[in-house]
Amino acid sequence: MSSVIADMQASLARRKATCEVATAATAGRAAATWMADTGVVRAVLADDPVIDQIGLDAALRAAGIDVLRWPVTLSRREILGLDGPEDVCGITVPTLAVAERGTLVLEASEGHGRGLDVTNRHHLSLLPADRIVETLGQALAQTFAPGRPIPSAVSLVSGPSRSSDIEKISTLGAHGALTEHVVIISG
Amino acid sequence: MSTRRRRTQGGVTYDDVTGTLRERTVEAMRDPGLAANLRTAGTAWADQREVMDHDYGFEAMRDRAREIRRSNIRDMPALLTELQHNVRANGGTVVRAADAAEACRYIVGLARARGAHTVAKSKSMATEEIKLNDALEDAGLEVVETDLGEWILQLANEHPAHIIAPAIHLNKEQVAELFRQESDGEVPDDREGLVAHARTRLREKFAQAEIGISGVNLAVANTGTVCIVENEGNARLVTSQPRIHVAVMGMERVVANWDEAAHILQVLPMAAIGYDAANYVNLISGPRREGEADGPEEFHLVIIDGGRGALRGSEFEEALACIRCGACLYSCPMWRTVGGQAYGSPYSGPIGAVITPLLEGPSSEGSRDLPFMSTLCGACGDACPVGIPLQDLLVKARERSRSPEKTKAGWAFRLWSLMWRRGITYRFTIAVWRLGLRMRGKDGWVRRLPGPGAEWTRVRDMPSRWPPRR
Repeated sequence: MSSVIADMQASLARRKATCEVATAATAGRAAATWMADTGVVRAVLADDPVIDQIGLDAALRAAGIDVLRWPVTLSRREILGLDGPEDVCGITVPTLAVAERGTLVLEASEGHGRGLDVTNRHHLSLLPADRIVETLGQALAQTFAPGRPIPSAVSLVSGPSRSSDIEKISTLGAHGALTEHVVIISG
Repeated sequence: MSTRRRRTQGGVTYDDVTGTLRERTVEAMRDPGLAANLRTAGTAWADQREVMDHDYGFEAMRDRAREIRRSNIRDMPALLTELQHNVRANGGTVVRAADAAEACRYIVGLARARGAHTVAKSKSMATEEIKLNDALEDAGLEVVETDLGEWILQLANEHPAHIIAPAIHLNKEQVAELFRQESDGEVPDDREGLVAHARTRLREKFAQAEIGISGVNLAVANTGTVCIVENEGNARLVTSQPRIHVAVMGMERVVANWDEAAHILQVLPMAAIGYDAANYVNLISGPRREGEADGPEEFHLVIIDGGRGALRGSEFEEALACIRCGACLYSCPMWRTVGGQAYGSPYSGPIGAVITPLLEGPSSEGSRDLPFMSTLCGACGDACPVGIPLQDLLVKARERSRSPEKTKAGWAFRLWSLMWRRGITYRFTIAVWRLGLRMRGKDGWVRRLPGPGAEWTRVRDMPSRWPPRR
């Protein structure tokens, strides 16, 4: 296994996210299994070719999970999980990832909502291994490279949401996702 | 939602603080719970800082951070022009505000024009400085702080005690009680339960808010992007859910490019919380683009001068390099003893003691004593990730301060040096002092002295003869 993948796995563990490595053929099933085990009843998918390539849609339906595609036509209360099911999982596809810090780079676009990873209780990210770079500097240089259109919003996400505001003790699941699972797609 | 106590416009310090700085300090020292909380926080921070230095060579990273911030301050006018141009090119609106009043006027006017009722805020020191919440509440808007610590303080009707960890002085029982009052019902007792409770209550507010207001940690000039660093995820909700996003920054937040930003974005969480990354860094370059289904329709960037511009080229220029990490607070023996609220300013600790009087002017009653809140031990300068020589700036700030207490002390020292410069007056004062001590002393010790000596005997005894008796 290449060293960036190993670094990414180690960093994600440090950031209290979970991670597994799969192939294009197995990633869909791996994602569906993790979601079923986590108790996810609905998935909101980014509209991204990677998701189609691994056949996630079918795998999720087979697992009995309700599937929605971004952009969704839900009300703001439903998007925020105030109405409707609680165990919803946002599914993202990072444009890049930083191995050194366990950071996912999520760009807003037509197929990828700004809030996809934080509005839902769970977050699953499908990361093609060739998008992993070693440092934050490299990731930002590529994201904001001259000549490339500037994305309206980029989110650097490093592990599930947490707060240390009560007694300075880190507690997971503050405003964003309570769980973060990354499936690295290699080969 | 409760409103904070009133404050008047104009100054940076809070208008509702009571007593002198000395009185507030003494009062804070009498609170044993506060002392324990601050000690725990300070120790945890110091331990993590060592880990950062060991694992990442943090010390070496400081040098580059210092260079970057120096050049940012030097090039500030040009960088701000570039930032302004690029934010506009990205579809955003930029407003340059000379002072707090101008910034508040713009944001209140915007809220009125858009018919807003509810404002969701993420943590921002700049809005605390300009007292934006009061201005919005006076205009009839509901303002909700969504950072967990800031929300707790809003419910408690208190001011932040720390730049990064505002509610550091409260324990979980106190927090549960505040939540119980706010929701008028059952609230869990454990920490996880309390966090989950706040999450749901605040999502109700996110569902209503028409305007989201955030601060800015860094603004990158060459792409017109603001960076908002956080751990909870509330800043992302603030910047993605409401129809309008207003970002408020002090003019010194600007950096030139992404190479610089990448370095500072790594240094910031290391210095602030002792970890190698914040959970969320939101890089926002304007409103949603055509075809995008979420994100605000309007993006407004308010850039505040508020006295900062005048510091460029002055002996205090380096204070502008501050990245608001809060490291100097944790490192400071004064702050670790009395906490942030005694300072009476949104900016506490060594950096607060330097910049508050700079922003308010040397005669300001609320802040002229602040530079004296230091032992000048230099721990703050050592802790600062951008190498601000805080101990030197504290000395300069003392020179500049026009505090009556300082004037009094100045005259006393002048008189003293005059008396002790000549043998005859020196011997005379010693004789008088000895006689006085002997007359007041009992069993070789004086337990209470009058006048200027009272400060000494408040916490210790004075021997009435030498050598003192055991």
